[in-house]
Amino acid sequence: MSTTPYRLPLTLPRLRRAPGEGAVAGVCAGIGRSLRVDATLVRLTFALLAFAGGAGVVAYGGAWLALEPESGPAPSSKRRLVGYVGLALAGAIALRGFGFSDSLIWPAALCGAGILLARGRQGASVVAGLALVAVGVILFVDQNATSDGRDAAFQSSAVAITLLLVLGPWAWRLAAERNSERVARIRSEERAEMAARIHDSVLQTLALVQREANDPRRVAALARRQERELRGWLYPDARTEGASLASAIESAAVEVEELHGVPVELVRTGDAPLDDRVEALVLAAREAMANAAEHSGADEVSAFTDVGDDEIAIYVRDRGTGFDPDELSPGSHGIADSIRGRMERVGGTAAIVSSADGTEVELRLERRS
Amino acid sequence: MSRRRVVLVDDHHIFRSGVRAELGEAVEIVGEAGSVAEAVPLIRELDPDVVLLDVHLPDGGGHAVIAQVAPERPGVRFLALSVSDAAEDVIDVIRAGARGYVTKTISGSELVDAINRTADGDAVFSPRLAGFVLDAFRSGEAAVDPELDTLTAREREVLQLIARGYRYKEIAARLHLSVKTVESHVSAVLRKLQLSSRHELTRWAAERRLI
Repeated sequence: MSTTPYRLPLTLPRLRRAPGEGAVAGVCAGIGRSLRVDATLVRLTFALLAFAGGAGVVAYGGAWLALEPESGPAPSSKRRLVGYVGLALAGAIALRGFGFSDSLIWPAALCGAGILLARGRQGASVVAGLALVAVGVILFVDQNATSDGRDAAFQSSAVAITLLLVLGPWAWRLAAERNSERVARIRSEERAEMAARIHDSVLQTLALVQREANDPRRVAALARRQERELRGWLYPDARTEGASLASAIESAAVEVEELHGVPVELVRTGDAPLDDRVEALVLAAREAMANAAEHSGADEVSAFTDVGDDEIAIYVRDRGTGFDPDELSPGSHGIADSIRGRMERVGGTAAIVSSADGTEVELRLERRS
Repeated sequence: MSRRRVVLVDDHHIFRSGVRAELGEAVEIVGEAGSVAEAVPLIRELDPDVVLLDVHLPDGGGHAVIAQVAPERPGVRFLALSVSDAAEDVIDVIRAGARGYVTKTISGSELVDAINRTADGDAVFSPRLAGFVLDAFRSGEAAVDPELDTLTAREREVLQLIARGYRYKEIAARLHLSVKTVESHVSAVLRKLQLSSRHELTRWAAERRLI
């Protein structure tokens, strides 16, 4: 399960013209749709602006030239430039119409045109745009400072606002690009890891399977090991990380399975930290599993590790031929030393029940904290 | 005993044909599906005794199939079959209404047995499922509803024996019970698992949630 990387909502609405939908060039209809407002509202705005010294008419002309139609070819850069100039002009006229003084209007118009230019991707237009903005700011600061001698805070805030206007969209775009780059990088890293994993494990196993096709037991063991490995990777279990009873008994089961070619069906509940006593318990259980796999003749061994609050119990069971635990030859060190002796040395117990239906070894160890 | 009518739902074609071959004549496989979208109308139409259901399907889990079919076809019983070790996926399918869970390494004869028991309305617990359930109902936590949120000593004992690899018949002999009684204990555990609102179940699942 992969988490979807968080994506900033970085796209601004893009204004478009809708030719053929309006009375003239579809400017108002297009803007309305782009911004999701009623076209009538846009038309009304333009009409109102027309009363401000005719700004609405100039703005309409500029937008007609500059905006990309919803269908059909995009306007040429020259046409677009003229359009932007028209829009800047309209802005200036409108401001003037609303009674702002020239010392505000012209710098604002310069800055506006500069920002629009700087949004282009070519180096030249960016430089030209930035230059226009700079001229606008200098003009503004200069005129206002000389006309009524305001303080430095005013000048610096003017510069700051302008910088924000100019650099804001640029930084915005940069963040968007970085975001998508990061997503792409994470994806390709994931893919590389997956490929490496499949190469190291699955492909190797498949090659081995082909070579050992005549030995079904070996093929089954290979397949099982591969399955276990992949499963461990796909469904990581927090409990098996680090030195713990769960991870130790898990690897003991895998070892026995690989060594003797008999599947070990391991079930666990709970977990406990691995200390010397628990390690002895795991080694005893490993010996019991190995005995079952090697001597019982059963085609499967069951192991159950139950971690209680006071005690850890491990049961190893097979449905094999069984044996009499009391009649073992003195030479059979496995059970005497590796299981019973080991458990007794750490204060645990080992009980072995065997009959014609199979054998069960029951190991118990009291927990000490 | 008449042959059970079975629908096989698994997205791996190879696996389906493997199961079909292994089950042989012991059951009647009336249909196969490889996704939730295919399985739901098929099961509605065929009304089988048992649906062998993969825990993982490309367009949703096995629990999605149960959720869509079970209300209209209460007679259809579901048995989950999976290689998945992720406990919360298995518990999901059981809580949706499956009568049991077996792993794909199960032998053909054991699978036939599990299908027949599922069709009879019994619960089918593999050792692995028993381990999951014991973990989910671990002692030491406050129970909201003692009736549903805790296992009785007997139920715990039965589950531990299942986890150790014992079959119902062997459990019955060991605990001096009838097989029917063992089955009813297991069914009771299944009911608790499906109805319990024990908060530990969710917490336990969350702890194991894949990142």
